[in-house]
Amino acid sequence: MQRMAYTFSFPEEVLEHVFSFIESERDRNAISLVCKSWYEIERWCRRNVFVGNCYAVSPVMVIKRFPELRSIALKGKPHFADFNLVPEGWGGYVCPWIAAMACAFPCLEEIRLKRMVITDESLELIAKSFKNFKVLVLTSCEGFTTDGLAAIAANCRNLKELDLQESEVDDLSGHWLSHFPDSYTSLVSLNISCLGNEVSLSALERLLGRCPNLRTLRLNRAVPLDRLPNLLRRCPQLVELGTGVYSTEMRPEVFSNLEAAFSECKQLKSLSGFWDVLPSYLPAVYPVCSRLTSLNLSYAIIQSPDLIKLISQCPNLLRLWVLDYIEDAGLYNLAASCKDLRELRVFPSDPFGLEPNVALTEKGLVSVSEGCPRLQSVLYFCRQMSNAALRTIAQNRPNLTRFRLCIIEPRTPDYLTHEPLDSGFGAIVEHCKDLQRLSLSGLLTDRVFEYIGTYGKKLEMLSVAFAGESDLGLHHVLSGCDNLRKLEIRDCPFGDKALLANAAKLETMRSLWMSSCSVSYGACKLLGQKMPRLNVEVIDERGPPDSRPDDCAVEKIYIYRTVAGPRLDMPGFVWTMEDDSSLRLE
Amino acid sequence: MSETDLAVIKPEMMKPYVWLQTSDDSIQQVEQEIAMFCPLICQEIIQKGMGSSKNCAICLPQQVSPAMLSLILDYCRFHQVPGRSNKERKSYDEKFVRIDTERLCELTSAADSLQLKPLVDLTSRALARIIEGKTPEEIRDIFHLPDDLTEEEKLEPLRNITADPRIRLLNRLYAKKRKELKERERLKNVEVEEEHVDDRSVDDLLSFINGNDGDPKGVKTSKNKKKNRRKKEQQKNSSLKEASELNKKEVNGHDIRHQSSEAEIISETSYLHCAEDDGFTSKPEFDDDEIDPALKEKIDREVEDFARRLNSDWPERMQELLSSGQERKTVFFTADGFIRRHACMISPFVTVFSLIHHVFRAEC
Repeated sequence: MQRMAYTFSFPEEVLEHVFSFIESERDRNAISLVCKSWYEIERWCRRNVFVGNCYAVSPVMVIKRFPELRSIALKGKPHFADFNLVPEGWGGYVCPWIAAMACAFPCLEEIRLKRMVITDESLELIAKSFKNFKVLVLTSCEGFTTDGLAAIAANCRNLKELDLQESEVDDLSGHWLSHFPDSYTSLVSLNISCLGNEVSLSALERLLGRCPNLRTLRLNRAVPLDRLPNLLRRCPQLVELGTGVYSTEMRPEVFSNLEAAFSECKQLKSLSGFWDVLPSYLPAVYPVCSRLTSLNLSYAIIQSPDLIKLISQCPNLLRLWVLDYIEDAGLYNLAASCKDLRELRVFPSDPFGLEPNVALTEKGLVSVSEGCPRLQSVLYFCRQMSNAALRTIAQNRPNLTRFRLCIIEPRTPDYLTHEPLDSGFGAIVEHCKDLQRLSLSGLLTDRVFEYIGTYGKKLEMLSVAFAGESDLGLHHVLSGCDNLRKLEIRDCPFGDKALLANAAKLETMRSLWMSSCSVSYGACKLLGQKMPRLNVEVIDERGPPDSRPDDCAVEKIYIYRTVAGPRLDMPGFVWTMEDDSSLRLE
Repeated sequence: MSETDLAVIKPEMMKPYVWLQTSDDSIQQVEQEIAMFCPLICQEIIQKGMGSSKNCAICLPQQVSPAMLSLILDYCRFHQVPGRSNKERKSYDEKFVRIDTERLCELTSAADSLQLKPLVDLTSRALARIIEGKTPEEIRDIFHLPDDLTEEEKLEPLRNITADPRIRLLNRLYAKKRKELKERERLKNVEVEEEHVDDRSVDDLLSFINGNDGDPKGVKTSKNKKKNRRKKEQQKNSSLKEASELNKKEVNGHDIRHQSSEAEIISETSYLHCAEDDGFTSKPEFDDDEIDPALKEKIDREVEDFARRLNSDWPERMQELLSSGQERKTVFFTADGFIRRHACMISPFVTVFSLIHHVFRAEC
């Protein structure tokens, strides 16, 4: 019965060579599950690894399994941390990882972190331990200061990428940038857009001038507009640029200087920044508009007519992030001008106002869904929506893979019929068969979850707030969505029943977050006892859950699968439910 | 040294043909210029002076059969022509590797043994493309690889969640209840209290599962349980043997495996491992196949207990939840850090917002 493997005569190096052409994580995982010999070979030649939850596995395990890593990506806090739902001090500390890797991986080249806490000490350790360190990306991270950045700048001779996207940095001084030695020339990508203080502009100019491979430069707000042309002239080969503040006193020579500098940037494809835009300076970027594929105006307070003028010059736009000042009129124009658009994000300019401040409704999104046949990814904040509009969007764009709709006021019904928006979202999941990510809003009953469970077979991430009526809602999702990896829920009437009935499902997912729901402490304990491969974290700032009856609902629960057991770095308001083996004896 | 001298000393350098012996012991003549493309053959000719006659034919590695040699020589013959464009070469290469997987593997082996790197690269890339996007099972099938990772089978119950009998029951009964409900609605045309019905149906489902002694469905479940338990024990026995073999490769006493298609490292702390350590023959999971019946009853009773307790004060609980909504600082959940940034910017106004929010709540 044993068939001879076709690859039986392959020396290991040949298989390794074949594997070297396979980079996607899914494929590498598949390879490692084929048979024992492939598992072994694969683990020795794995060069990069992505850990979606830093508490799912321990550094020691990763190091032992993949001894030749060159690149690692780690994610820490759950996504809802972005909305201040995860209390300060919850966790996500990268220090143990850095410490372990400093010894084990002297050849490590790349570290990418998201929503993690990293200290200056860790940055210094990185700077000292990895001789060929090339890439440091810190997305939405915190816990460090510009002193840590100085250490990186001073020591990492081969650094190519330093990206601090949306991190919270204690900006002690702009001098850290001057720590890049004069001999340092390998910079390819620099993103300092989150920093508060002014960096030394002359040091920056010199740095840009001596790094011929620089492709990406995202400046911070403190860089004045009249210094931008000089900076641009040092690196006309830029592909991605984030400006600093985009206004200054209106002087014609500043404008023409700026326009000339932009004209020299023949490779520029992506623009961002644009803090405090003075609309009369916008035409300075017109020379690059025809080549632009990505435009991030989410900080730009530009009114619709100026936006229309700008966007109609960008026929090759693939991605647009913009404030709702664009209004329906601007979106009609977008649909007409940018036929290749793949991704649209419309952010609210006044999220906490009670009345709409702009003429942006569901109609704008419908027009984009009609006019842009390649639209795949949508994030849309608005104040009104209808089932009819959602159905139209779904029918227009069955190729959507990401659909995140945020109707600003919770539990808003269909504004035309006053019904729940169940059938609208139902149409989305039914028509968009490849939908991977969905965020719900508006008035929703259990029915919408039934649709999601029935049709959302490729759904990997679902965000729910103020929706549903009973446990059946949660049950539909957990039992129906075969590919669900991340589920985050807030303020929904979901309790113990669906959770306990679908406990096994939780081990197939990365994580589940439920806050302000009705999950009782008793259920959390039960889940923790029965599912040793899950960490069931109760996050409750009211004090120990033990001090309240078992049927009392907990504030927040974060459940994630792990092979590393309960974590040891929990703050006082987090309890991991213990795996109680003595219960099994009863 | 004159040319003729060179010809006397190294006669093989002048001959246009070289003799090669393939894995089946057959010997053939091949144009030397072409054969020299292969570093191994080149080495044999120049360094060891082999291949000039049938008697001293170059013995090619085991991996090179006559068919493979023929293919490789075709490749060399095409590429050694200098005038070809990159496009031509690429096109030839693409057609060249469009052969069945078995031959492709043979070819890779053969090319590697002859140290013909460009061909090894070409065939390796082709193999990589075959592997990409496939599941482990598919890959095993294509390459005829053994399924010797015993933990793999243990992972299946976790993947097929809808195969869990309890979930299937829940779904079936819910579907039944909804049908009944639709009938009732059609007949009565009275507003039905959705919430009430839902709760009752879930309670029904739970009690159904608990009290399934005389039910034919219940009998089926217990039969399946028995069958599956036997299957699991068989697997456990065979895997216990393998575990000792694996001991050298185990890390931290765990067998590390990937469990999902996304790239998380989840080591499968094996059922095996727990069974050995804890001395239990079954693990209490929510997978019916493995639950010890007494324990299962206990779990079911606990779940039902909670359900009952929750349902009794549900209306009050809802009120509590709704009224506590005023403490929420932000309702947004879809922006990437956007709201966090803006929340920081407008934090002095948060208390104002929560006040307004409270007013709104009271109105609804």
